Amino acid sequence: MRRPLSFVALALLAVAGCKQQAKVLHVYTWADYVKPELVARFEQAEGCMVVIDTFDSNEAMYAKLKAGAGGYDIITPSSYMVQVMHRQGMLLPLDHAQLPNLANIDPDVLKIAIDPKMDHSVPYMMTITGIAYLQNKVKDFRPTWAMLDRTDLAGRMTMLADMRETIGAALKFLGYSINSTDPKQLEAARDVVIRWKKNLAKFENEQYKTGLASGEFLLVHAYSGDILQVQGENADIAFAVPEEGTSIACDDLVIPIQSRQAALALRFINFLHDPTVAAENTEFISYLCPNKASYPLLSEETRANPALFVPVEIQAKCEVITDLGNDNAAYARIWDEIKAAR
Amino acid sequence: MRRSRFPLLVTVAVLLFFYLPILVLVVNSFNASRFGTTWQGWTLHWYARLTTERDIWDALRLTLEIAFVSTAASVVLGTTAALALHRFSSRVQRFHSALISVPLVMPEILMGISLLLFFAAIGLDLGLLTVILAHVTFSLSYVALVVLGRLEGFDDSLLEAARDLGAGRWYTARRVLLPLLAPGIAAGGLLAFTLSVDDFVITFFVAGPGTTTLPIRIYSMIKHGSPPLINALSTLLLLVTFLAVWLSQRLATRRT
Amino acid sequence: MTSGQPAPEERRRLNEWLLTAPSLLWLAVLVLVPTAIVFVIAFKPPDIDGGIGAGWTVATLRSLARSSYARIAWRTLYLSFLTTAGCMLLAVPTGYFIARVDRAWRQSLLLLVVIPFWTSFLIRIFAWKVLLHPDGPVKAALAWLGLVPPNAGLLYNAGAVLLVMIYTSLPFAILPVYAAAEKLDYTLVEAARDLGATPLGAFFRVFVPGISRGLVAATLLVFIPSLGSYIIPDLVGSPSSEMLGNVIAQRVFVERNLPHASALAAVLTVAVLAPMLAVLLLRRNGEVGAAQSRGPL
Repeated sequence: MRRPLSFVALALLAVAGCKQQAKVLHVYTWADYVKPELVARFEQAEGCMVVIDTFDSNEAMYAKLKAGAGGYDIITPSSYMVQVMHRQGMLLPLDHAQLPNLANIDPDVLKIAIDPKMDHSVPYMMTITGIAYLQNKVKDFRPTWAMLDRTDLAGRMTMLADMRETIGAALKFLGYSINSTDPKQLEAARDVVIRWKKNLAKFENEQYKTGLASGEFLLVHAYSGDILQVQGENADIAFAVPEEGTSIACDDLVIPIQSRQAALALRFINFLHDPTVAAENTEFISYLCPNKASYPLLSEETRANPALFVPVEIQAKCEVITDLGNDNAAYARIWDEIKAAR
Repeated sequence: MRRSRFPLLVTVAVLLFFYLPILVLVVNSFNASRFGTTWQGWTLHWYARLTTERDIWDALRLTLEIAFVSTAASVVLGTTAALALHRFSSRVQRFHSALISVPLVMPEILMGISLLLFFAAIGLDLGLLTVILAHVTFSLSYVALVVLGRLEGFDDSLLEAARDLGAGRWYTARRVLLPLLAPGIAAGGLLAFTLSVDDFVITFFVAGPGTTTLPIRIYSMIKHGSPPLINALSTLLLLVTFLAVWLSQRLATRRT
Repeated sequence: MTSGQPAPEERRRLNEWLLTAPSLLWLAVLVLVPTAIVFVIAFKPPDIDGGIGAGWTVATLRSLARSSYARIAWRTLYLSFLTTAGCMLLAVPTGYFIARVDRAWRQSLLLLVVIPFWTSFLIRIFAWKVLLHPDGPVKAALAWLGLVPPNAGLLYNAGAVLLVMIYTSLPFAILPVYAAAEKLDYTLVEAARDLGATPLGAFFRVFVPGISRGLVAATLLVFIPSLGSYIIPDLVGSPSSEMLGNVIAQRVFVERNLPHASALAAVLTVAVLAPMLAVLLLRRNGEVGAAQSRGPL
């Protein structure tokens, strides 16, 4: 048994030898979540290489880390996942002395943030979940979750494959809290989603935006940033925040404890919160970077966009998804039942 | 005897069925339309964009590296296995044969999850090594199958003649057996290479940070929809495949 | 027999072990042991934050008794069965045709069958998504013929899954059928005709039994991998056409519940072993094919 292994090890040494020279920052993030030119600018300034791997769900990222994937320096999980990771001692405490740009962060966001002192995470991008649709193909659109009951759109709609988002949408539709742990409310929400499921083509976290742009889907449950990114490809696409309220989320920058480039990672975080950089990032990926110093640098269009800057009345009805610890199992059970139902 | 036309019709239908989606892909790679559902004019734009996508070329390079290493290892293991299965027929060989046939039919998701759990249990971090180990594991049996097939059509009298003429065992093996077996080994190696380059499910389970192979990149592209890029990439891959097959056919006929 | 040299018998056994050990050990460590681990982990509890908890429990296995899993398991069996049936219906005439055609054509036809297999699996599935797009040509044709309503989607249902599964599995059915058909002695079929059998009769009572090993191989090569299908239902299926593979992948990548995934994988492993064992036992009893080849399958 040693023979194949040593052979492979030798081959690997030969193959991997070349990459050892430059400093490499390993970033694990959502797809299309940082402007490539900014990355290049950082690479040049620091004389390093930045390698970006992507994940399509917090759980997938977490499972991979737990299973032993230990080479990352910067990760951008959603806040509730940051909670989980922090509880597990997976995150490096942040040295604020290296992060002068933290002063630029929007204090209103820090109020609802899960780590307001930014001990182990720094807010990166805000997103709001809503409904995106093709204006010419969907008649009589109203900004409400009830659109998912429309049978004339059956087979051409999708909802997010994220159980908290989708069950949350049903909870909001029924007037409950998105973080409810009341079994009766959860069961009612389950029945609503099962009803909506009959009209859905898929539960989908990523393909829905190109599906919408290509006309494969007519109405999708979507993250605001994704839709803003894809509106350029199909002018018919519109985004609306449902009147019953929805989930607001924040993705944070964290450094895993096994990072081998912690100092470089801190500089990357500081770089991302430079007001000019933050403004460019916001404009490019169409999510809002909660960097107050960058707001004046944004275009008129961007500052007026309701998907980025949410009107106060609706914001009052929106909630941040929090990790529920042991009660997560209740949601997982409900989600199972939803997936299995006819 | 009057032959029914039915088998011919079915075969033609099957071939049309096989090539229809491929035709769509190739045609759409030249389609100026972003989504390929309507024809909007000829363009080479997508091929041009393909050359600037660093991610894809990085993924391709990694995929080829993995393929070369895993093919080399699985050819060695598969050939020795085939030789053992051919020459001996003890109880050990029956067990050996059964074990070899397991990866051939085992669903990829089972192999993927079992290897993931195994690597976690022995504390091996997911990465390049785990992917290579996985690739060798599923390719080995295919190589063994191909080489065994070649061995079974073998004329052992050649080997016996060599030995009767006084050649030692190793000499016989090196100068008589291996050269005659070479086309079979090459075919097995080619198969192992193809399987490694194309594998998605198993690789997806055992890949670590930075081990984004081409299929994993393609899966990500499908999910994020860069349809024209995928069309262009697959047309190029198809072209390379055709050339490789044509080349190997020419080499094979030249040999015999 | 002189002494001083190891007995030929021992030399022979040593050579056998030298040749067998590398592959045997590799597969034992990287196939048998991991499979055993799958069964072991099925008895562990999940860790609240993902990963595997300490201790042992049968709760995971007991939770499999829920009806939702039974439905998914049944659907998996059903779709795999239909895929196999569809593939066999298409593979037998095709294999027969290629085996009977002139030698010159045979190579080219086989190549034509195999070449699509050389393109990326994912890309072939993606091609079907393009073909079956609601604004695409197939849908347009069907809508024009009045077979589907104008707003319908062709994808994201069990039919699409079945179609693509047949598409990707068909070469694996055609090749074994062809291999067996090529070796068959057709004078037997002609003799049957001469004795008065109808074409169909000769087909079912001489040809089909004659290629039985090929049929069995084809069935195994299509049915068993289909049971573990995950990418195809993921890319072209709907939430109502999920298969066991989808649920396993979900448990691993989305819900980070490894023990649960293990338990389901253990069930799938048993389901996969059953047909293989059945074939092995039948072969042992009937001595069919046992002496004909020492190779796998």
